[in-house]
Amino acid sequence: MNERILVVDDEESLRLSLKFKLKSAGFDVDVAVDGEDALEKLKAKPADAVLLDINMPRMSGIETLTIIRQQYPQTEAIMLTGFADFSTAIECLKIGAKDYLVKPVDTTELVTRLRSLVRSRSTERALQEVHQEYLGFLAEDVLEPLKKIQTVLDQLGKLPADAEKERKKALTGAREAADVMEAKLKVLAQFAKEAAEASEGSGEGSAMHLIEQLKGIRKGGDH
Amino acid sequence: MAEKKLIQYRYRFLFEDGTEKSFNVALDEETLELVTEELKESPEWTKLKFSQCENCPLSDSVEYCPTALSLAGLVREFKDSVSYTSAQVTVESRERTFVKKTTLQKGLSAIIGIYMSTSNCPVLSMMRPMTRFHLPFANSFETFYRSISSYLTAQFLLLRRGETPDWDLKGLQDIYKQVNTVNKGMTARLHRATEKDANINAVVILHSFGDGISYFIESGLSDLEPMFGVFLNKNHPPQDKF
Repeated sequence: MNERILVVDDEESLRLSLKFKLKSAGFDVDVAVDGEDALEKLKAKPADAVLLDINMPRMSGIETLTIIRQQYPQTEAIMLTGFADFSTAIECLKIGAKDYLVKPVDTTELVTRLRSLVRSRSTERALQEVHQEYLGFLAEDVLEPLKKIQTVLDQLGKLPADAEKERKKALTGAREAADVMEAKLKVLAQFAKEAAEASEGSGEGSAMHLIEQLKGIRKGGDH
Repeated sequence: MAEKKLIQYRYRFLFEDGTEKSFNVALDEETLELVTEELKESPEWTKLKFSQCENCPLSDSVEYCPTALSLAGLVREFKDSVSYTSAQVTVESRERTFVKKTTLQKGLSAIIGIYMSTSNCPVLSMMRPMTRFHLPFANSFETFYRSISSYLTAQFLLLRRGETPDWDLKGLQDIYKQVNTVNKGMTARLHRATEKDANINAVVILHSFGDGISYFIESGLSDLEPMFGVFLNKNHPPQDKF
């Protein structure tokens, strides 16, 4: 699926030329005539990124940006302006815009920045998934067997001196839990080493690969 | 000596606060060159070497950029104006009067378009024939259509002279690439000449037409085919229904 870009500018010819250019670069493009229209369009269908003119009537680009950052944090923003102003640029970046471009915008530069922006956003999401998978691993595959061992140790302390059969059974259970944990931790250590090596080519693809590996480890197979 | 015949456009900007600004543009009817009064002073940003366009073919002996000079008076008038300011813009020509409630940037882009293409800039002069059929407040499609029509007329005239015409419009796309380099150069100058965005955005609007024309030629023109059905189906008329 193509990344969806929302172009927000009060001038028809600018909306149209940006729409033409971005469509031919492979993006799905929608347009909005001002800030209010942009918020309506985002409500109806979220966008991966917005190109937001700063000087617009009724609701300025900065006001629109503030609302977008609050209500649609997954949507990235690039600000566009005819009149370059350093303090406005800083303000936009502080609010959460990812970039600030002066019109007329160079098409190649804009497409490059947009691609980089949506790619890093996808990578960010994928890394969050890695994080979740890793937390799941720790909770289910490390902490649970550890608790089991602790419970067995507690039980052993309470067993009467002549309960040899029960003691052996408990020790076997503890040993098995420790073995499982050791095996998984060894795989995890190897995985961490390989992940560090793979991080040189980091990006969404690498992150997705890490997720698959983690899932494989959790299922108990090798990776 | 015979007096020059002129094409004249009078632009009037009436703002919501009741203020009004007027500008007269006069062109030589034959050559479509801008007929200008001598400026009392030429600001620094109009010098040729001041942020000179990358593709400027003018020699070092030229002191001032002709396009910047032609715009100086207008730019000064709107240097503190915001692009989206509402205005009623009236354009009077010999044949008709256009009136539109629009934004300042849109009204300015129309008059700046005339100034630029008739200012004796060697690059922008390729746009000059379009000024004879000036259409204020045109939308993008109207401008693309006028532009292509003007270019194809030139190609037909070349054909009649026995020269090779460019029917696939590659030359038109090249012209717009060059024109947009000048538009970009002009916005760089205007950053030094203005405090707000109205003048700059007016040139950015002109730049956007140049940006869109390639896409329009490749994709948009096909959308017009149904309109031209009467020509396109001439040799294959639809079957009689009766």
